[in-house]
Amino acid sequence: MSLSPGLRDLLAWRNLAHDKVRFFVTLIGIVFSVTLMAVQTGLLTGFVTTISKIVDKTDADLWLVGRGVRSIDLPANIPERRRFQVLGVDGVAAADPFMHVFAQMKRPDGGAESVAVVGFDLATGRGGPWALAEGDIADLALPDAVVMDRLYKKKLGVERIGQTIEVNGRRARVVGFTDGIRTFTQSPHLFADIKTARYLTGYAEDRLNYVLIETARDADPQAVAARIRALLPDIDVYTKAEFSTRSSMYWLVTTGAGFSLVIASALGLIVGMVVTAQTLYATTMDRLPEYATLRAMGAPGSYLYGVILRQAAIAAVFGFGAGISIAAFIVHGARDGSAAILLPWQLAVGLGLATFAMCAAAAVISIRRVMAIDPVSVFK
Amino acid sequence: MTALVEVAQARVVYGTGEASVEALKGVSLEVRKGEILMLMGPSGSGKTTLLQVAGALLSPTAGTVRLAGERIDGLTQEDLGRRRLRHFGFVFQHYNLFPALTAAENVAIALDLKGVPAARRRAAAHEALDRVGLGDRAAHFPSQLSGGQKQRVAIARALAGEPDAILADEPTAALDSASGKRVVDLLHDLAKAQGRAVVLVTHDPRIVEAADRIVHIEDGRIREAAEHPLPAEA
Repeated sequence: MSLSPGLRDLLAWRNLAHDKVRFFVTLIGIVFSVTLMAVQTGLLTGFVTTISKIVDKTDADLWLVGRGVRSIDLPANIPERRRFQVLGVDGVAAADPFMHVFAQMKRPDGGAESVAVVGFDLATGRGGPWALAEGDIADLALPDAVVMDRLYKKKLGVERIGQTIEVNGRRARVVGFTDGIRTFTQSPHLFADIKTARYLTGYAEDRLNYVLIETARDADPQAVAARIRALLPDIDVYTKAEFSTRSSMYWLVTTGAGFSLVIASALGLIVGMVVTAQTLYATTMDRLPEYATLRAMGAPGSYLYGVILRQAAIAAVFGFGAGISIAAFIVHGARDGSAAILLPWQLAVGLGLATFAMCAAAAVISIRRVMAIDPVSVFK
Repeated sequence: MTALVEVAQARVVYGTGEASVEALKGVSLEVRKGEILMLMGPSGSGKTTLLQVAGALLSPTAGTVRLAGERIDGLTQEDLGRRRLRHFGFVFQHYNLFPALTAAENVAIALDLKGVPAARRRAAAHEALDRVGLGDRAAHFPSQLSGGQKQRVAIARALAGEPDAILADEPTAALDSASGKRVVDLLHDLAKAQGRAVVLVTHDPRIVEAADRIVHIEDGRIREAAEHPLPAEA
């Protein structure tokens, strides 16, 4: 198929665009499909990304977790001496405490909200908040200091830095706001130094949930993990990627929320594919008499393939362009909403390829019909 | 005149078993260069089927078809398409123009099918429209043309590829008398001035005077084939 513009390009374009109403209807179908697919997969991507965000953002090669822990938000209580034991393992450069514990927060108006207290070692900063928008991280050294995300100011009734709040009946003070650290559980994170976290959650001084391990530069994290497992058989060890995936998969596969999003996303893809294919197929079929005329005139099959595939490509370009723009607008509009919709460029490219594939598939199905036309049908 | 198409003992049967219909029952016909041949007969007599067989659109169930000396019955649809493209231009009763293309683009498409480069295509399309008297309608879409003008665009399209024969199915059926006469005069001039064969299927008694030869078909058989007693002047 020649790529130089010619009469086939013109015929393909005019077949689509000459009748403005029909063109609009064709595009609406594809735009709707692309938008649906983008938003549904964007919701799923947002969900998965949010679940594992803390793991992904934490600068730890290995995560030491309680036996059987399936997700970061479902931790087990482990003794801190495990951390000291790990420090003696060959290949471990650092081992820091980390906590992720749900707590009750009392709003200023008397209402209650669930929060997740995230405790980390302020001295190393490993596991601490990123994207600090207001305040100073050093202020977390104050005994009751916490940092929260400004996305949840209204939800938690917090308006400003310095405001005191009540967590599990204990006083805490907001010393900073992050920007864009979402929670997928509807329990906003309160980042605090490990000591403050223990104080707010009632954890004993010698207890924690996780140990964040940095391996030596020349060490193989998997080999170090094997040595730790051998030393501490009652503890699980995962690489960062493994624990990230484990946390995401737990919510995606074993919970209704995750599974319904997976199903909705799959349905979005299927409905999008079907609508796109059906729309383009119908558009091609509307032109069947003209293809029959071309056949009667002696047009070779390759000529007809060329026109129909070009038609599909044009519809895909316009439909995807408009659909992804609308989806980007929705993503932008939802950035401060409770549900994260993410549309990374890789997903956009994937959806673009899927749109082209769907249009090409519809074209191939149409081609079969077009090639089956009896050229004598033009005489009827 | 030499024979461009030779149909010998062609039988065409549609369907199978008891529901089958024999549209042609052993028909033989020659189409000669430079002549206007009219196929006439009542509806369902088989004249359009004969045009399709002669025009390499339909392979007969039995019998042979030669085109420019080459036997073409039994070729695949793709191979028949190549022969049609090389030898024939078609004019249809309902014009069959592409509504999304202008008159010039409709004509140019016949040339594009033959792989004529864009610059030559444009010039040849305009020349063909000039020949049918529609040079000033080149940029009009079919919806902006009258029935007669549409049929002349269709003739220009059939002509543009410089075919050996133009095959026309009821080209005047949808036209008023004046437009019909103009179309037939045009086809007549083409046959005489350019030595092309013109085969018309028609019911229209108003146009028979233009014929060199008239073949009457009835019930799938040629009832009468005669040189026209008063051939029109070139």
